[in-house]
Amino acid sequence: MAIAEVPRFVRADGPDKVTGSGRYAADINLTGQLVAKFRYAGVSHARITKLDTSAASAMPGVFAVLTAADVPDVIYSPVVPDRRLFAKDVVRFEGELVAAVAAVDAATAQAAVDAIVVEYEDLPIVDDLEAAMADGSPLVHQDWESYAVTGDTVQRPNVASFSSIEKGDVDAAMASADHVVTSRYVADGCHALPIEPRAVVAQWEGEKVTIWTSTQVPFGARAGVCETLQMPASKVRVIVPHLGGGFGGKCGFHFEAHVAALAKAARRAVKLVFSRQEEMVAPDRRREGMIVDITSGVKADGTLVARSGWIAIDNGAYTADAAFFPQLAAMHVAGPYAMEAVKIEASLVYTNHQPSGSVRAPTAPQACWALESHTDELAAMVGMDPVEFRRANIVDEGVEGAAGQIYGEIGLRRCLDAAVDASAYSDDLPDDEAVGVAISWWPSFPGPSGAYIKIDSDGSGMIITGAQECGTGSVMTLRMLAAKELGMEPEDFQLVYQDTSAAPYDTGATGSQTLLNNGRAVVEGAREVAAQLRDLAADRLEAAPDDIELASGKAHVSGSPDKAVSIVELAGVAAEGEMLIGKGSGTPPEYPSVSAMCVGDQGLAGWAGPQFACHAVHVRLDRETGVVRVLDVSAAHDSGTIINPVAAHGQVEGGIMMGVGQALTEGTQYGDDAKQRNTGLLEYKLQTAADAPTIHTEFIEIPDPNAGPYGAKGLAEAPNVPTAAAIANGVAKLVGMSVRQLPMTAERVWMTSEGMSS
Amino acid sequence: MSFTIATTVDEALVALDAGARPIAGGTDLVVGARHGKAALPADLVAIDRIDELGGVELDSAGVRVGALMSHAELMTDPVIVGSYTAIADASALVGSPSTRHVGTLGGNVMNGSPAMDTGAPLTVLRAAAELRSVTGSRTVSLDELWAGPGRTTANPGELLVALHLPPAWDRCGSAYVRLEYRRAMEIAVVGAAAAVTLAADGTVASVAVALAAVAPTILSVDGVNEALVGRTAAAAGPVAAALASEQAAPISDLRASDRYRRHCIGVMAKRAVDAAARRADGESIAVPVNRSLGIGAA
Ligand SMILES: Cc1cc2nc3c(=O)[nH]c(=O)nc-3n(C[C@H](O)[C@H](O)[C@H](O)COP(=O)(O)OP(=O)(O)OC[C@H]3O[C@@H](n4cnc5c(N)ncnc54)[C@H](O)[C@@H]3O)c2cc1C
Repeated sequence: MAIAEVPRFVRADGPDKVTGSGRYAADINLTGQLVAKFRYAGVSHARITKLDTSAASAMPGVFAVLTAADVPDVIYSPVVPDRRLFAKDVVRFEGELVAAVAAVDAATAQAAVDAIVVEYEDLPIVDDLEAAMADGSPLVHQDWESYAVTGDTVQRPNVASFSSIEKGDVDAAMASADHVVTSRYVADGCHALPIEPRAVVAQWEGEKVTIWTSTQVPFGARAGVCETLQMPASKVRVIVPHLGGGFGGKCGFHFEAHVAALAKAARRAVKLVFSRQEEMVAPDRRREGMIVDITSGVKADGTLVARSGWIAIDNGAYTADAAFFPQLAAMHVAGPYAMEAVKIEASLVYTNHQPSGSVRAPTAPQACWALESHTDELAAMVGMDPVEFRRANIVDEGVEGAAGQIYGEIGLRRCLDAAVDASAYSDDLPDDEAVGVAISWWPSFPGPSGAYIKIDSDGSGMIITGAQECGTGSVMTLRMLAAKELGMEPEDFQLVYQDTSAAPYDTGATGSQTLLNNGRAVVEGAREVAAQLRDLAADRLEAAPDDIELASGKAHVSGSPDKAVSIVELAGVAAEGEMLIGKGSGTPPEYPSVSAMCVGDQGLAGWAGPQFACHAVHVRLDRETGVVRVLDVSAAHDSGTIINPVAAHGQVEGGIMMGVGQALTEGTQYGDDAKQRNTGLLEYKLQTAADAPTIHTEFIEIPDPNAGPYGAKGLAEAPNVPTAAAIANGVAKLVGMSVRQLPMTAERVWMTSEGMSS
Repeated sequence: MSFTIATTVDEALVALDAGARPIAGGTDLVVGARHGKAALPADLVAIDRIDELGGVELDSAGVRVGALMSHAELMTDPVIVGSYTAIADASALVGSPSTRHVGTLGGNVMNGSPAMDTGAPLTVLRAAAELRSVTGSRTVSLDELWAGPGRTTANPGELLVALHLPPAWDRCGSAYVRLEYRRAMEIAVVGAAAAVTLAADGTVASVAVALAAVAPTILSVDGVNEALVGRTAAAAGPVAAALASEQAAPISDLRASDRYRRHCIGVMAKRAVDAAARRADGESIAVPVNRSLGIGAA
């Protein structure tokens, strides 16, 4: 149901990115620019007993050395404010910033960083989630009770945010079950790993600062600078040149304020470019490690009646944006299943690890992996085929979900059928091959968002949007929406974007929200311009504005394509008087109400525009070594109306590849000192192009009235959710039992099949 | 600091004598320096434009393989693929297409990593290294050449000019397999090479097995010939596996535990013997064996 006749078009940023003429943040160079380098804690938990920057400051070529003493003493982060720009008194993870230097070149800056004297007194390391939650555990934040948390956030010692979802009487329902199955699954943390390590350049003019940065959220970055440096938004401009991927790792506010503060102190432009290792250690954005305990009760006929769950999520040392993780993880352990009663408790646990933060579908791939592995165990317990078991228990139109939301028309059942049918699920396979199936869901995130549309005197269009392109193509797709409203071609529109001083607000490339929210804004803005064009054309063609249609670059009278005037001509007329300018923001979709009781509610128990998916993954197991290879993936997705099929397929394929990595090879390994051990691409094993399976994608397009333009829901995160789970179910069939750790490395698979525990 | 571009071996030897280090593809040297493994040497001599260091030539003593042969050349060279197939198996697994086009056999051998992929194949094929310096040349066995992780017994003034392989004989085949977690940009977690000659009755007439990444240098499996001669290929594999697992001295690191490595090296040894025996029997198994037989991430 592509909205354009020709769904393929040249992306506005395509030629620049492909030919190398595009500019990224690291390509920006300003006159007199200095190089920034950071001094990291290097230890996971310690009290700073001495911090002396005098030798560094005295070095020739060093223009600024900053510590916590040199910036406003602001404690920040959304929802759970618990950190500062620089460590004050205590460092809580290895990548915490202790000081920053700006110097004439990289070697001088590094020498100055090394010349900073820091002495520590060790504090006990907290790195085990269960031990951290036990009474008497050493605390990561001694004064956690003083933090000014917002909303309904519930905190406990070493727990930054606790949430529960409770519906019905779970004990009674569990007692009525014929079988009760309990499983524990443990997922390692992993990384977003955009290929572009981040870069930030800051330059002051008087009291105003301009910051070029590789962020996914320009307005969020601006807000962070304003909050921590105590500046009004009017004095901060954030510009993002092309962004080399993000996957969530560049959501939030990171190092923009540090570089701005250095530039102010040095009275020169300052540039920061991260190494790969810094990119893997310093940002407060990593995919969270997780322990999931699930118990479900089923009737002998396969009816799911009750579920209880306990989830511990590794928050790391600071909370970043993760306060909502417990509730989202709880929703994913409940899953898109109907049941009488549910009680799931989830805790975001402080440790001395790098902070976690939103990475593509935060909490979902791990929680889905646990739930869907458990679901195959339930099916086995009652002797049902796993796909049949799902058919019998999933939510559907008019059915109430675990948290009490009642769904409209949704495509989950069709996704399940389509993915399984397209796979080799029913085929006779060699004894080292199997197909595993998993279903999943994911919310759409309504939010405020704005855009301007104008048509210049030559008839060329321009979209001025707050939206951020992180590579998904969603900003590029805005041109299709404007073109459709105005009877023009996508290529007729230029984009002005990624500049907080040019465009209205948008949340950024986060939560799969760009097309959902900014798409509505662009449609609304374009409709304003369309009305202006109709008025102008009506005058010229002596017809009523309502009878004017815009198509093929012309305004014509409805039913008489020959009575027409070109948009180029109308644009010329408008340029002499009332210009063609539109704006859009629009009312976001509403969050549905739910009946479950939620402690620590973060507003995520009821989902607008819920997305559904099923992946059926054909795997091969090398039984002697435990190496798993993914041969083929059949994916079916309900993300509402698909507006740009080319980009949509790209999102599904990329999400699947990220899921394969998380399933098999990508996991952070920690030392006893709570430091990461595999902080380079040699030992942190991403999937490569050569590993890519064949991927078949089908979209189940059901326009959702409470969602984005033309009934589109989000899409960028959903494809990342069920892949690891489906792979796990394929592997479990071959091994004879689940591999209960993620990633399911070859060694873990081998150990499981040998009956060893790791 | 100096950078010399040599176009003849003699020019290179003069530069080496003056203290320069050779750089061929630079895929170990430069990448290692960037990772802080060892600083880039102050004086370098580029040897990648020396024609004399290339090529594969048949001579009376067997085959001379130039040190500058790239992995991409080795994996398609008819002589190597035809008679010394284990080397081609190994080269075909190195890094990515770009690594294979730039990285050289000489660099792989002289870098001396215990995880080098061509090391085990060269060992079972009884290769010898020809080293040359301004004062002359000598030929050493690989056993003598490799001294430990990243160390060789070559003098700083010596250039590896070629590897010499004995002539191929009838009904012999070789193979290299490695454990890998993904299909490109991988480093051997463990690897094994085997060279097998079959007797007329199809039993093993002679065999050699060598292992990668389970000891400080490439490890030749002791006693494997005595244990396997006279057995059918099918019976030989498990015996080779047991010997390999027993003799391996693996470490635990980020890639695998010692226990898992010890298990997998046996599996790899068995598969290498099996594939080598099938090739010896005339079966054509395309390079690399890993992909053809679905080994590891294949
Ligand atoms: C991305 C990547 C992937 C890789 N994957 C693999 C892999 O899968 N398997 C594998 O085995 N290796 C791998 N490597 C390592 C490397 O590519 C190989 O070892 C390659 O063969 C080295 O050759 P080179 O010509 O680049 O060596 P160089 O870096 O030029 O040299 C390596 C060392 O040998 C010395 N040297 C080079 N030539 C001579 C000579 N003729 N005489 C004396 N000394 C010499 C140099 O001084 C240096 O010390 C990988 C490397 C990279 C960067």
